[in-house]
Amino acid sequence: MLGRIWAIALNTFREAARIRVLYGIVVLVVGANLLAIVLGQMSFHEEQRVARDIGLAGISLFGSLTAIFLGVFLLYTEVQRRTIHAIVSKPIERWEFVVGKYLGMAVVLTILVALFAVAMAGMLTWQGVGVSSAVVKAVVLAWFEVLTVAAIAIFFSSFSTPFLSGIFALAMWGLGRVTPDIEAAIEHGSAWIKATARIALEIVPDIHLFSPSGRIVEGATVTVHADFITWGYVGLASLHAFGWIVGLLAIACLLFQRRDFS
Amino acid sequence: MSAATNDTVIDVRELRKTYRTPFRRKKVEALRGISFSVQRGHIFGFVGPNGAGKTTTIRTLMGLIRPTSGSATILGHTIPSRVAREKVGFLPESPYFYDYLTIGELLDLAGRLFGQSAATRKQRADALIERVGLDRARSQSLKKFSKGMLQRAGLAQALMNDPEVVVLDEPTSGLDPIGRKEVRDLILELRDQGKTVLFSSHILTDIEAIADQVAIVARGSLQSLGTPAELVKRTVLGFELKVRIAADAAVDSLTAGASRVRRVNDELALTLGAETDIDAWLERAHAAGAKVLAVEPRHETLEDLFMRQIAGADAATEGGM
Repeated sequence: MLGRIWAIALNTFREAARIRVLYGIVVLVVGANLLAIVLGQMSFHEEQRVARDIGLAGISLFGSLTAIFLGVFLLYTEVQRRTIHAIVSKPIERWEFVVGKYLGMAVVLTILVALFAVAMAGMLTWQGVGVSSAVVKAVVLAWFEVLTVAAIAIFFSSFSTPFLSGIFALAMWGLGRVTPDIEAAIEHGSAWIKATARIALEIVPDIHLFSPSGRIVEGATVTVHADFITWGYVGLASLHAFGWIVGLLAIACLLFQRRDFS
Repeated sequence: MSAATNDTVIDVRELRKTYRTPFRRKKVEALRGISFSVQRGHIFGFVGPNGAGKTTTIRTLMGLIRPTSGSATILGHTIPSRVAREKVGFLPESPYFYDYLTIGELLDLAGRLFGQSAATRKQRADALIERVGLDRARSQSLKKFSKGMLQRAGLAQALMNDPEVVVLDEPTSGLDPIGRKEVRDLILELRDQGKTVLFSSHILTDIEAIADQVAIVARGSLQSLGTPAELVKRTVLGFELKVRIAADAAVDSLTAGASRVRRVNDELALTLGAETDIDAWLERAHAAGAKVLAVEPRHETLEDLFMRQIAGADAATEGGM
């Protein structure tokens, strides 16, 4: 079983590594970090904050958009181009194929996040700020966010077209990012807003958990500019990500199992 | 129509597949209760026009499509079965593979999915690349392969697990005459190795030349099933004659009643019906001073049967509408 999943993951990695857009995104993130230096100079003694904010936002934003891009295309094109016919007619279960696809994507995304982080670390070092443990934790959280968004994209791609999957995944990611605002709507909104907000909270992962700056945790405001995020918090966030990834992939596997490949 | 025995490798029972069109939800019956069985060591030819249900049947057997009703077994395992697929090699119709891979990498991927060790994968891949004649294309990515080369690559990946059963969907499609002959030889070689082969084709001569059993399908239904000898009637359908005439005056008397006449200089090629008294006609030809070059009785071919069956199926479907 592991050998078959690994075979699909390895092939997915090969496929994704040939997508030139990804190299463009890496260049874009490096460019964003250089821009952060310029913007930092223009700020009023806020060079360090600007540098870290832009660096981390780059990882989160470009990592998540790449996850959506890969997630909605890699599975769909297998069906569209009929390459899947020669694969699922071999002794592989369909769930193994879906999991293999996800793992291949996860490896690509992990390498991308690592490259983004190295670019940010280089920029912070050049600024004379250095990489604090708070920044390391923030990068790890952003990585969880990217992996969760990839699972969202794969989930939609298991039954929908790339266009619709992309829209659904973007919507779910966007909603997940504003969960504190949804929680506020439950407290202050009208009855129907409260009902809608409650449903939204149930069906979207709490992605804001992975970018906690400004969030109040245990009575204290969390920030990546000081070491206020504990490794315990990172551990809990990883469990949240793991739960959503497993859940979304399980449903994707069930839906994929029922599909006809004509 | 079929009865499973110990030697039955593939057994299909009342297989039906109904699709619904996306918006109007109109029912489309791709398979209308197909039943047949394939015996061990046989070559089973599946023939029918486009949209007959050949590919749907094959894809259902390979677990790509779920049947609406009916059942099928491969090597005794009810489909879809991962265990059965371990012993089956499959070439899809117009195969599409990952075009960034080389033939070696494609076969390595197939070997990994069959759970083969690295040494086995390398040994099988080397042997198969040579067998299908792609040795010189080893370093090329599949993107640069011609359609014929892709078909050969598809055959190689289908044989990676040294399968007991080989299912080939249109294996000669897109191949030149030499390529077609090579595929036919390969299928015969597989049978000689004791393997069972199910293959579909539009090319009736391919089916007639190598199949032990033939199934004709049309409009999602099985029209005929049997050996080529059982299916094709040995009765004389007519005569093909060739004569050299001495004078133009003889032409009218010799061509009277012919369904087809072709004249090249002083040679006449004729097709006469089965009811023709051929002895009387030969006497007339001799009397007119013509030299008879060839007399050949025409028997029914698989193509005649095929055309008759398809016309019958079309009429039955239209009559039922």
